[in-house]
Amino acid sequence: METNTSTTRKVNQSTTRNTKTKSLWKEIYKNRVAYLFLLPKLLFFVLFMLVPIVWAFILSFQEFNIMGSTWVGFDNYITAFQSKVFKVSLWNTFIYTVVTVPAFVITALVIASLVQPLGKMSQSFFRAAFYLPTVTSMVIIAMVWRWMYNYRFGIFNYIIGWFGFEPVNWLGQSDSALPALMIMSILIPPGAGIIIYLAAMNDIDQSLYEAARIDGASAFQRWLKITIPMLKPTTLYLVILSTIGSFQVFTQIIMMTGGGPGNATETIVHVIYKTAFRDFKFGLASAQSVILFFIIMIFAIFQYRTLRDHH
Amino acid sequence: MKKWLLGIVSLMLVFGIFAGCSNDDASKDMSEDEWKDWEGTITMWDGPRWADKDENKYHWIEEKMSEFQKEYPNVKIKLVKTPWAEMNDKLSVAIAGRAWPDIAPVDISGGSVNQNHIKQGVIAELDSYLSKEEKSDFYDNAIDAYTTDGKLYGIPTSISVHAMLLNLDIFEEKGVEPPKDGKWTYDEFVEKMKALTGDGVDGFSTYILPSYYEAWPFLLMDGGYPLNEDMTEYTFDSEEAVSGLQKLVDLKYKHKVTPESMGGQDVGGTWKAWAAADQRTVAVEPWATWAIAAAQGEKFKTNFMVAEYPTGETGEPVTIGGVGGYVMFNSKDEAKKRMTAEFMKYITSTDEQVVTAKNYGTFPARKSAADQEPFADNPQMARAQELAKHAVPVPRHENWARIDEAIQKELQLALNGEKKPAEALKDAGEAVDGIINE
Repeated sequence: METNTSTTRKVNQSTTRNTKTKSLWKEIYKNRVAYLFLLPKLLFFVLFMLVPIVWAFILSFQEFNIMGSTWVGFDNYITAFQSKVFKVSLWNTFIYTVVTVPAFVITALVIASLVQPLGKMSQSFFRAAFYLPTVTSMVIIAMVWRWMYNYRFGIFNYIIGWFGFEPVNWLGQSDSALPALMIMSILIPPGAGIIIYLAAMNDIDQSLYEAARIDGASAFQRWLKITIPMLKPTTLYLVILSTIGSFQVFTQIIMMTGGGPGNATETIVHVIYKTAFRDFKFGLASAQSVILFFIIMIFAIFQYRTLRDHH
Repeated sequence: MKKWLLGIVSLMLVFGIFAGCSNDDASKDMSEDEWKDWEGTITMWDGPRWADKDENKYHWIEEKMSEFQKEYPNVKIKLVKTPWAEMNDKLSVAIAGRAWPDIAPVDISGGSVNQNHIKQGVIAELDSYLSKEEKSDFYDNAIDAYTTDGKLYGIPTSISVHAMLLNLDIFEEKGVEPPKDGKWTYDEFVEKMKALTGDGVDGFSTYILPSYYEAWPFLLMDGGYPLNEDMTEYTFDSEEAVSGLQKLVDLKYKHKVTPESMGGQDVGGTWKAWAAADQRTVAVEPWATWAIAAAQGEKFKTNFMVAEYPTGETGEPVTIGGVGGYVMFNSKDEAKKRMTAEFMKYITSTDEQVVTAKNYGTFPARKSAADQEPFADNPQMARAQELAKHAVPVPRHENWARIDEAIQKELQLALNGEKKPAEALKDAGEAVDGIINE
């Protein structure tokens, strides 16, 4: 009896799946012109995103040389996890992410909250003002910041000198190099975050604020009880996006510290880059990339589950 | 569109793109002189050298290309102008993508092209294109640098060494006599650095960075060397090497004659602290020979002299040397390779080495070029050239880039005062042993 019920359920599930597939194809056929326009982009996605990702995954099980490759099973993964430098880079990247992501999101939220009540013209001005630095290449930003951290002529040592502090060898000492890079990331205006938050804030129904005002809620209470909860999906999006960005931090490292002093500022992507393009160990680099992929995925799932809007 | 048709079109597109990216040329047999009729394009990467009146720093190679193309009208040489700072990374990426050029300027001991590439067949062997006579015109150490397992994998163009550059204006301001004939012991060096330090000036500074060797002669001055002769063992934890590193560290912490940032990674800042008129705060820095030409140029015109590294227990003013040259990347087209070799020989001839020596501040790799005394009227370069006899090369291990990084990162920590010299060199050894024993 139980077997019959189970078989019936399986048949039903199969029939439902077939029906769904058929209706999906019908839907695609119905909108074929739209899909035709999407096709070039889709092809590019497959060629330049999907194929490399799948290829990297396959490579991670191979010892890949320029002239050929051999299958090595999980050896590359074992090597990656046995590497002291890779473990240090995982930790550094984790610390960097834990510090910079909240700073990025909170700064964007606060600035957007201060700009949003302004008129349209002022909003546009601040949008442009805060977004403009985002357009600047990180290479240029890193070069300028490197100069700002200069031991003898840098502005930071000049400022702390006013308060009687000794100059700091910002990028040269193990205990200050990573914090210096984090300070740099935090102080760069989060232009994209501000723009996205502003757009989301302007979409919040004003009647909610009216009702709260009538009930005697202060401006801070309205911000805390209405704005922040209503921005939860946007916050989730920004947290996930900036986490991915933080885990992939690279340009600052290669431009400003090269991962040093010692391994104080080694990050995962910098290690992957060196493994691939300096040591030509593409299999190992691919394994490291796959590990990074899963770390980011786990973080994203965790963040999604914690921050998603249940309503 | 039918599914199968869509599939075929997609596959064709994918194969078409990959075929377009392919670097392989069709292989073909040729008779003795057939290569002269070869028709096609040779792709060459080169970096900026000295500028002409229009500030064009590629004028020399463009002129050579044009002359060669006149001689072989079927040949087109395509120049990819690549800043030196980007050369290594771009070459690495190109090799990884199997889309390498035909010729590139490469210091074979550097990171982007190394012994591994030779083993994997990326670099073409050149023995069949250079006669014994032609080879005998090059200095032995220059030819040796591009030779692996008895086969030649490049044509050397220049030899470089590291030397101490002394800012004589600062010496004069401080009333300090420069070392006689540029020779000094470590103790004499320390005394002079102490006399130069003070009132916003530091006696000495340098930086520590993977693949940069300005500070290394200090580590070698008492007899230390990174690897044993057959490169199977790490030897930089020897007493001699520790003593050498201690001497370098002492300059910062015991004798206090360096800036706090000494041993960091700021190459540009270190150079400016010695050479920029408005930022001159360091009297003595070690540099590779290109810096001599730069300090003689208009932008960083400096009143300076060239000195030896101070001598340690060995009594020799040890320095680190390197050999620059051009390598040919492999191709299946023998005629093309032969033509490419011809062009390489053209730009590395005696006359061209004299021209580059005079204008670009490199020492010729050819004896016949050195015989023409390109530095007869340039005493600073002539002085640096004398140091070449004390130059030792870095080990030519196939994983040298990784070994070098493991050592340099520990040197950074020692120079930061975060580790004792012996501890740093011992810790470097653990990493290096792992790499050697892979």
